[in-house]
Amino acid sequence: MVSRSLVTVVDDDESVRESLPDMLKELGFAVEAFASAEEFLASDCIDKTKCLILDIAMPGMSGPDLQRELTRRRQEIPIVFITAHADETIRPRVLAQGAVECLFKPFSETELLEAIHATLRTR
Amino acid sequence: MRGPAKPKTDAALETSIPYSELPLESILCTEELHHRHSRPPDYEKENRALVKLVSTLAESPSTILQTLSETILDITQCDSAGLSLLTNDGKTPDVCGKSFYWPAIAGMWGPHVGGGTPRNFGPCGDVLDQNRTLLFRHFERRYPYLLPVIPAAEECLLVPFYVAGEAVGTIWAIMHSDRRKFDAEDDRVMASLGKFASSAYQALIRIEDLKFQVSEREKAEAEVRELARGLEAKIRRLVEANVVGIVMWNLEGAITGANEAFLRMVQYDREDLASGRVRWTDLTPAEWRGHDERAVAQLKATGIFQPFEKEYFRKDGGRVSVLLGGALFEGSGNEGVAFVLDLSEQKRAERALRRSEAFLAEGQHLSQIGSFSWRVATDEITWSEQLYRIYELEIGVPVTLELIRTRVHPEDVSLIEKMKMVGQASDGGNDFEWQYRLMMPDHSLKYMHAVAHATRDQDGQLEYIAVVQDVTARRLTEEARDKARSELAHVARVMSLGTLTASIAHELNQPLSGIVTNASTCMRMLATDPPNVDGARETARRTIRDGNRASDVIARLRALFSNRGAMTESVDLNEATREVLALSSTEIQQNRVILRAELADDLPPVTGDRVQLQQVILNLLRNASDAMSGVDDRPRQIVIRTGLDDGDCIRLSVQDSGVGFEAPIPDKLFDAFYTTKSGGMGIGLSVSRSIIESHRGRIWAARNDGPGVTFAFSVPRGRLGEEPARRNL
Repeated sequence: MVSRSLVTVVDDDESVRESLPDMLKELGFAVEAFASAEEFLASDCIDKTKCLILDIAMPGMSGPDLQRELTRRRQEIPIVFITAHADETIRPRVLAQGAVECLFKPFSETELLEAIHATLRTR
Repeated sequence: MRGPAKPKTDAALETSIPYSELPLESILCTEELHHRHSRPPDYEKENRALVKLVSTLAESPSTILQTLSETILDITQCDSAGLSLLTNDGKTPDVCGKSFYWPAIAGMWGPHVGGGTPRNFGPCGDVLDQNRTLLFRHFERRYPYLLPVIPAAEECLLVPFYVAGEAVGTIWAIMHSDRRKFDAEDDRVMASLGKFASSAYQALIRIEDLKFQVSEREKAEAEVRELARGLEAKIRRLVEANVVGIVMWNLEGAITGANEAFLRMVQYDREDLASGRVRWTDLTPAEWRGHDERAVAQLKATGIFQPFEKEYFRKDGGRVSVLLGGALFEGSGNEGVAFVLDLSEQKRAERALRRSEAFLAEGQHLSQIGSFSWRVATDEITWSEQLYRIYELEIGVPVTLELIRTRVHPEDVSLIEKMKMVGQASDGGNDFEWQYRLMMPDHSLKYMHAVAHATRDQDGQLEYIAVVQDVTARRLTEEARDKARSELAHVARVMSLGTLTASIAHELNQPLSGIVTNASTCMRMLATDPPNVDGARETARRTIRDGNRASDVIARLRALFSNRGAMTESVDLNEATREVLALSSTEIQQNRVILRAELADDLPPVTGDRVQLQQVILNLLRNASDAMSGVDDRPRQIVIRTGLDDGDCIRLSVQDSGVGFEAPIPDKLFDAFYTTKSGGMGIGLSVSRSIIESHRGRIWAARNDGPGVTFAFSVPRGRLGEEPARRNL
């Protein structure tokens, strides 16, 4: 049996933490969800995570802050940023920092799936 | 020596008399008179004595009693003789007297003059009781109080005498030894002298009466003289004090005398007066002569003329207003005296009062203020002219409650109706303010602002004095200002809409994202075999939830950015704050600001406009966020707090850790178009202040102990239905 890839969701919005994992499970992934970057860093999921779906704007440590922290720790986890913010100038900035994709909410299932597959390909 | 029998008082006399059981008969020997050998009558001597008595009566009536006593002594050849007269006071005759006194005594008992005996227990009383001459022997045996009256009386012949048929006293003759005894001749002579004694008594009474009359008249004259002296002194003081002018005059027009006050009034001097040049007829201007003629007619008819106002010419040709009153001297028929009061000061005061009233009327006219008084007990209402103009009523028509009601707006309570309510509620006497509207016959509206003051008149009756101002112009200006402020606030909100776009997008994108994701998952769950219905139901539920969440955002946006007039409602400031935070938290987070809300539990509501208050909160949050955009050396932190403030107010504060202000905080901070931000327009805080002040609150800024500033506002906790402008003084 092929073990399913672990996709980890970090978002402070509870509805995202409910809906996105359900969808990813339907798509065949193993999923973990955290409400903040700090919770994720404190967990034992970092090494197992194959794809990190990360909200940009969060109270406390933001998505990009976590990205920097992981880089500092030499944890090379492929990241798909998601944001409800309308400012599109943010996308090139996070891509330049090494993110695989940046999706603007609301995004479709296809967009999300493509982005996850892209991260898995980078492995 | 005075007789020890001299009475001190009647009562003392009565109690001082020792009781004796010796009967009267034992001391009487009257019958012996006719058995004794009688000496022959000496008519010549008797006639001489009578002539002497008569001439004394004519020439020296006050000594008649003493002369009579001496005559008895002389004719009867006795040792002592005298009179006893009924008296009440021991010194003046009185036919109703209760004792006897001895006004005159000749012979050995001379020193006892002034003494006397009781009426009811003594020899004189016995004589009057028996109404005849009595001869006593050693009467001190029955009447021991006579023992000290020495020498003792061997025999005493007592004869009553009468005036108008009434016994008033006795004459008596006493032998102190038995060298001779009284006989029938003595009885005859004494009876004869008794008749004379009656005349003498009447003469004496008349003299006493005359004396009394003279003394009364002298007393009266003295009183009159004293009164006259006092009156004269008073009149002299009045004349000399020169408080009022005093003039002596005659009907021909001459002024025969005047005091300084009068001369000063008309500017003449004593020399002018002495020369006769000062005549009241010349001093009177032609138009006042009619008044003078009427006064003269009154004088002739009644002797006085009633005070009246007139004018006199002064020496310099000017005029002086005076009040004049006066009277003719008694019995003169031509001359009299008058007082003259200078009315110049009063006239000046009257002119000043008229001027002041005119100013007041003009002032009322200019300021659109009318005034009125209302006597509660009598319902008597008095209006100023301006109030008639404001109500557009004919000046002077009687003011009634019904008339007032025709002008007061049907939905409003008139001032007097309000006064009645206040009066009933507080037993009268409250001052208060009141606002109401008038509706004119053409249906135009006027706004009234009234201030009433309760007072009591001299009889203690409640009276309201009120001023009523037509504030229509001010009211319309205020309405226009409120509208402008509302529009400005809208502009400010729309401007903030641009900067909130990201935040709004975020608020909408979150639920939209949920909807899309849940809907996709739902489809996928239904497509499996068998379909995962439970999972699909759950995702469908989430889809609906997120749809509602999006629609809430839209509703909030619509409320905040719609341009609508101010509304008054009960506002929960905590809830209003949470809604603002929901809309703006993304923008704040984007600035990497940590927002902490410390909202007080059980916060009472305030009365106001929810959207306006939310705009103030939003402005303060955005300012706080902007103030920290350049801060990198410390946490960017906003703490928003609500709580109770002093004086029944609710406070909201927004504390930042931004760049703050140099001390002191600029005065113009809340002025329009004052800004410290590079891209700011200076509208936010100005609009915020307008909004807070229209909520009867205040807004301020204070530097923190650490970095940054705290902005805060405080508004009164509300009671719905309370009108801000209405208050009891």
